[in-house]
Amino acid sequence: MNDWSSYQLQDFIPFSVDIYLRLLERLNENFWPLQILTLALGIAALWLVARHHSRWLCLLLALIWAFVGYGFFIQHYAELNWAGGNIGYFFFTQSFLLLLVAFSGASVDKSIVKQHVLTNLSVVIGWAIGLAGLIALPLLSVMIGHTWTQAEIFGIHADPTAITSLGFVLILFSGWRLWLLALIPALWLLISALTWTVLGTSWSLVLFSVLATVLLGLLCKSVGGWMVKQDQFI
Amino acid sequence: MNNRFTRRQGLKLLGVGLAASMLPSWSLLAASNQNRLYKRYSSSDKTLPVIGLGTWRTFNVGSDPQLMNARAEVVKAFFELGGGMIDSSPMYGSAPDVMGHALNKLGTPDTLFSAEKVWSPAGGSAHQQVAELKSRWQLDYFDLVQVHNLTDWQEHLAALMKMKAEGRIGYVGITTSHGRRHQDFEQIMASEAIDFVQLSYSINQRAVENRLLPLAQEKGIAVIANRPFEGGRLIQDLKRRNTALPEWAEAECGCTSWAEFLLKFIVSHPAVTCAIPATTRVEHLRENMRAGLSPMPSASTREKMVRYIESL
Repeated sequence: MNDWSSYQLQDFIPFSVDIYLRLLERLNENFWPLQILTLALGIAALWLVARHHSRWLCLLLALIWAFVGYGFFIQHYAELNWAGGNIGYFFFTQSFLLLLVAFSGASVDKSIVKQHVLTNLSVVIGWAIGLAGLIALPLLSVMIGHTWTQAEIFGIHADPTAITSLGFVLILFSGWRLWLLALIPALWLLISALTWTVLGTSWSLVLFSVLATVLLGLLCKSVGGWMVKQDQFI
Repeated sequence: MNNRFTRRQGLKLLGVGLAASMLPSWSLLAASNQNRLYKRYSSSDKTLPVIGLGTWRTFNVGSDPQLMNARAEVVKAFFELGGGMIDSSPMYGSAPDVMGHALNKLGTPDTLFSAEKVWSPAGGSAHQQVAELKSRWQLDYFDLVQVHNLTDWQEHLAALMKMKAEGRIGYVGITTSHGRRHQDFEQIMASEAIDFVQLSYSINQRAVENRLLPLAQEKGIAVIANRPFEGGRLIQDLKRRNTALPEWAEAECGCTSWAEFLLKFIVSHPAVTCAIPATTRVEHLRENMRAGLSPMPSASTREKMVRYIESL
């Protein structure tokens, strides 16, 4: 009998903090100078969001998620954690979902975005989260003691990719598409925050704060959209 | 040279022998290897140094050459300081491969006591797992193979017993950690002919003192203590609070660091054969290995150690 109930969270994190930081560093070493391209793609994604080009954004993010699924999880993280390969397949699934939404013809409902204070708040949260993932968090990680070579970069490492994507889908999508595209990134963020907790670093607090803010944004968007619909029936 | 053995000499020898028989088994061997302490295991005359080396979390470094070489340095220092048991598991990611890298680089000393595990989620039968692990360690033989966390223990234990009978592995054991499944563990210890048990034991986590350690002593089962520092948390807490080592610790049991204090408490329990602290750093390994040198705390000093830690 495999008594999984007897296992604890720490059993699923079979490495120490210095080994995980070294993994982040190795990704930067092995993929250099691809970081310049992925950051450029991140800025391009910002432009697509600002112009509400949801289809092109989904296509770009699909490419990024597939790359991170392979490069981060299957090629590197799976060496440390037997569950790493499976998480990589979840990233491929997210890539597939982004393609599905891109080709489903869905685009942002601009009228809803502009109509309710809650949906507007969710858009503000989305911008804050998206910019945090792309720019602020790598800088913050250095400020709390990680080295520059360990800085996590959008399109190379999993955390900034998930955070930035969450911000962008929060701005552009609503309804079931928003929840569909937010599920896997939010789950990874939870796993990552728990990982940093087991590793005993305060970085977990940053990730839990981001996750809580994302959940607030998702709720604002959904409740705001629902209230607008209710108003339309009155 | 006069080889005559006088009655006086005979009486002296008898006196020394009687005194020695009243001491714990490790004391008899303390004089050898510069006071490094050894304990007997599995009702045999074979002995193990009381400080081994664990690999959980610390040796799982993937294929990173920089960290693989750093871990090989830890293994090198371990062998230089007379280390014996190194314990790993298929659950520990690339740790068995890293051990293979280290042994390939350093050679395999006679003192190595290789301990591995079979773990159901890793996939394959016990035979397949052991064969694969031998290849990863680059060894032909494991001294000990244990059933990890009692996963499918009936099936695995039967397979391991057969492998032991065929001479393909040295000894058989079972493991648990974090205080899990102690009732099942006790039943297996009572009913199966196992040689080793591995369990979590530290100065703060002493539940095994009630039933498991006395049972191990009664059945002649060797005991490996894992998580001696509770995953490093114990030492980190003591260092963070800047807690001073009590003055009597050096006088009574030769402790000059918290690592020695915590490890000596564990390995001085009469039922414990060895502890397996894990580390990534050579200086920490050296500190840990000093805990394997005499003097060891007496029963009253052990009680004092517990009281001191509980008072903090």
